[in-house]
Amino acid sequence: MALIRIEDVFVAYGTPARAVLAGIDLEIEEGSFVCVLGQTGCGKSTLLRLVLGCEKALRGRVLIDGAEHPQPDRSRGYVPQKYSLFPDKTVLDNITFGPEVSEFGLLTRWTPAYFRRRRQLREEAHDYLKRIGLRESDATKYPHQLSGGMQQRVAIAQALMMRPRILLMDEAFSALDSGTRREMQRLVRQLWADTGTTVLFVTHNIDEALRLGTRVVVLAKESPDAGSRVAMDLAVPDPCEEEQIPLLMRQLEDGVLQAG
Amino acid sequence: MSAGFLLIHAKPSRLWSTGLSWFLFVAVIASYLWVSDARHRENPEDRVTPTVAQMGAGMWKAVMEPAEEDEATGEARGWVDRFAHSMLWKDTRATARRFFISLVLLIPAVILGLHMGLFPFAGAFFLRFVLFFDKIVALSLLPILFIAFGIDELSKIMLIVIGVTPTIILDTFNLTKGVPDEQVVKAFTLGAGDFDVAYRVVLKQIAPRVLNSIRLNLKAVMLFLFAGEMIASTDGLAYRIALLRRHMGMDVIIPYVLWVALLLFLVDFGMRMLNRRLHPWFTEA
Repeated sequence: MALIRIEDVFVAYGTPARAVLAGIDLEIEEGSFVCVLGQTGCGKSTLLRLVLGCEKALRGRVLIDGAEHPQPDRSRGYVPQKYSLFPDKTVLDNITFGPEVSEFGLLTRWTPAYFRRRRQLREEAHDYLKRIGLRESDATKYPHQLSGGMQQRVAIAQALMMRPRILLMDEAFSALDSGTRREMQRLVRQLWADTGTTVLFVTHNIDEALRLGTRVVVLAKESPDAGSRVAMDLAVPDPCEEEQIPLLMRQLEDGVLQAG
Repeated sequence: MSAGFLLIHAKPSRLWSTGLSWFLFVAVIASYLWVSDARHRENPEDRVTPTVAQMGAGMWKAVMEPAEEDEATGEARGWVDRFAHSMLWKDTRATARRFFISLVLLIPAVILGLHMGLFPFAGAFFLRFVLFFDKIVALSLLPILFIAFGIDELSKIMLIVIGVTPTIILDTFNLTKGVPDEQVVKAFTLGAGDFDVAYRVVLKQIAPRVLNSIRLNLKAVMLFLFAGEMIASTDGLAYRIALLRRHMGMDVIIPYVLWVALLLFLVDFGMRMLNRRLHPWFTEA
């Protein structure tokens, strides 16, 4: 059975209602890396928020492992484009925040078990720091002292500390310059291969979608007033060779154009 | 100096900016001295603009001798003891007590604003009422408060609370609303519960701004406190100022006004330092 099942989902906003998503059907297998591609305003972020549980569909339903999750919870990690780190916590505290807050309540936070566990978590966080390519000295910095790329690295580590089955990334690299972006893509691909997490990655960049995903789903509107549908569903060979990318890119571009 | 020295691009040297920043202080003091001197030459009995020596003598009495309404506590028993029984200390202590009690009572206001901003049902329940309550002119409630709570401490503190609380609640509410949605969602995906989100994520990141908002409202706190003290009180800095007005005791009133300004400045400065110490990550202040 698929890990994420999106069944005939319909979403509309505003009065009078304007359809955003009109009948989306998707099945996402465990362990896949799915990129959702589409132009600005096509509802790709809405789709991600549906899976996250921040939004409710007017019609249809989203099942994760066979159950509906009406609220964001620890089964799905989240890396947004901005505001992904807590500005009042150091890098290390940001990374350990998840396990700490989910394992210890207000009262158990003063027990010896907590301090033991925290030491353990800090070691784990230091390992992550190394894996995502930050220096030891960055551990005590606050998010505003890091560059955008570094912040997103920490945000990914922060989400992965919870070992979520699903990782949702919303335009996570769109604010970065192309060099940093390429590095981040390599890092995420590596982490995905290491952890086996299912990733749903929303982007408007065709090149990025092809370099990251094992599968690219294109959302597009059939007419300006209609909601988006799945215009194309493309399996990307793994590993994807550099020379294949232009061909796939042309294929995707054609798909988007035809739908639009 | 070129002709552009008054324009936006001017870059005054350190000496110039320091000199200019003190100029108005010097000018005000100098013109006061000049007016005072001129008035005293015309009428040596002048009470409106006391000389520096008169203010010094008045303040010396305030610092070293008990208030008129208290009996003298026998002969001098050392400087510290004399100061501890002095008029200034008595007034300052009374006012400070009311001031800090009011500040402590602002904490529930912050908590309420936080909950209104985060929990939709709390927001729906309180927001409209607080918005209306905010528009009530607190001073117009003064007679009602005196009738309802009597003229002792409670009514004065209630005046401050009623006057300042709605502002703090609404400010905290707006700051809470201003926290990006992503932060709340992220916290939930990291396994946080509702109260973790409220107190460990949202409150912690709005805390420096809330403290700044309280700092901005210190003047309002003092305003309501002084109104209460001037109308119904038997001690306190504002009570003394109002009392001395009756026999034109400008030699004490002027130093008292400056003393109040100094105290308020120190509290504000202390809170700013505290803010910087507690929230080293906060970059706006």
